[in-house]
Amino acid sequence: MYKKRSILEKTILIILSLLAIAFFLIPIYWLLTTSLKFGRDSFAIPPTWLFFDATLKNFTGVLAQSKTFMYIKNSIIITSGTTFLSLILGVPAGYAIARSKFRFVKNSAYFFLLLLMLPPVAMLIPFYLIMRDLSLIGTYMSLILLNTVFDAAFVVWMMRSYFADVPLEMEEAALVDGASHFSAFIKVALPLSVPGIIASALYTIIYSWNDFLFALMLTSPTTKTIPLGILASFSSVEISWGKMAVMSIFAIIPAVLISLFLNRYFVQGLTAGATKG
Amino acid sequence: MIQTFTQTIIKKFKADPFFWLLFPLLLYIVVIAIYPLFFSFRISLFDYRLTDPNQTQTFVGLENYIRAFKDPTVLISLENTLIYVAGTVTVELLLGLGLALLFSPETKLAQFVRSFLLIPMALPPLVVGLIWKSLYNADFGVIPYYLKQLGLDVGRGPLGELSTAMPAVMLIDVWQWTPLLMIIFLAGLKSLPQEPYEAAYVDGSSRWQSFIYLTLPLMKPTFLIAFLLRTVQSFKVFDTIYATTAGGPGQVTTVLNYHIYTVGLTFFDMGYASALANILLVMVTVLSIVYILVMTRRQL
Repeated sequence: MYKKRSILEKTILIILSLLAIAFFLIPIYWLLTTSLKFGRDSFAIPPTWLFFDATLKNFTGVLAQSKTFMYIKNSIIITSGTTFLSLILGVPAGYAIARSKFRFVKNSAYFFLLLLMLPPVAMLIPFYLIMRDLSLIGTYMSLILLNTVFDAAFVVWMMRSYFADVPLEMEEAALVDGASHFSAFIKVALPLSVPGIIASALYTIIYSWNDFLFALMLTSPTTKTIPLGILASFSSVEISWGKMAVMSIFAIIPAVLISLFLNRYFVQGLTAGATKG
Repeated sequence: MIQTFTQTIIKKFKADPFFWLLFPLLLYIVVIAIYPLFFSFRISLFDYRLTDPNQTQTFVGLENYIRAFKDPTVLISLENTLIYVAGTVTVELLLGLGLALLFSPETKLAQFVRSFLLIPMALPPLVVGLIWKSLYNADFGVIPYYLKQLGLDVGRGPLGELSTAMPAVMLIDVWQWTPLLMIIFLAGLKSLPQEPYEAAYVDGSSRWQSFIYLTLPLMKPTFLIAFLLRTVQSFKVFDTIYATTAGGPGQVTTVLNYHIYTVGLTFFDMGYASALANILLVMVTVLSIVYILVMTRRQL
């Protein structure tokens, strides 16, 4: 509707876009190439951006260690446990908040939002002591329980705004036909809100997969997750950036896949947390 | 008291068919989150060190809180936290708005680029910290190399020098979280009404004028929400600091979170750490309540 931009304006916009893309993507590119470089090349001065001897040595080295699979297994167990528990607890609660006419139930949404914002370290210290007294440090359970506090709170917040947009008429029809509120929820509302559930699940997957602080305190050598595995590649005799990069690639796979292929759901989760009241 | 509590619960169950869908989560949160917070308050009134072989807990009243106000590191870390939060949030808001405007057109190319810009905020903060640590490395890092080419003295690298460590750590935060603000601003831009723009166009306003007099004022609520959201989140920073500087050099990057972690989970001085954690908790809770009030006001 406005007059066309001049060539100068267009050029400036293109340059700015390229700068932005470079700033945000170069560190990721650097990680990928480091994983493919020999040790000597990752320290090369001047840095080699495009042409270097590529090798899969780091990958084969990391995959030859049985610990690598243990870290991946632990991360998968903890992430799926957290996601499952957060959805089981959070989705019905989100539905209740969206549909209930009672102030107490409706306003509990803000209580969950508040919970979401608490500093993790403040929760971790007492939780650590309690788990220690119960001898639960180093169990998957301890980490899943604590991750679920924050993740379920997010799921509630997300699902509440999602259910609010699901039209009431079909549930009302089911109720008139004699269905209970519970079966109206299971059979009518739930199938209609699958995209919202996917968005919530993606968010919990990312956050529990990425968690470091809780895992640092609550795991034992046999339950360490990938982020702790990454640090372990430092503490050995030689500091291997190549191996660290390979472990990091395992750590970023969910993030990259979700950003590139499921971004519609992911964006929904991010904006629901911030903009919907 | 338990009896009246049970009675209230039963009453809720009978009155509201939806209450019992909420109840399991409520119960879970009370047991797993609220109880530990009360526990934390109790511990903060004791001198309780896990390093003590007898594990004695001596009641000391508010002494841990008094100690916190006299502890020079608390003051330094509080100051660092405020610098960190104010700096990162301001830069991220400005850059985020810029990115949103740059990539707002609904073209295939802009959508493609946007999906790539989502990656940083989905990455584990620990990995982000380590990537930047290697980029910043004084001996072989890419950034010091190019700074040297420009004739700058980098000394012990950006993370190793007292004057640059904080900005260097803040840049990592900017890298990771600016795209989130882009997403929030894009959602805000998309929900703007079209009519004022059409009217302004008819009245002969330029693109720049509509931006200043329409877009910015109309985006104020989104701006406020984004500001508060990032402020609350920025207080949580831990992983990147752990991965890059461990609070150093000296104490220039020791944020409150990191100090609490050091006291509680490396020195195991649990009573004092709980007191510090509770102080942080109160600060963040107040901020969060402001955020929630602003957000609900917006709905009315």
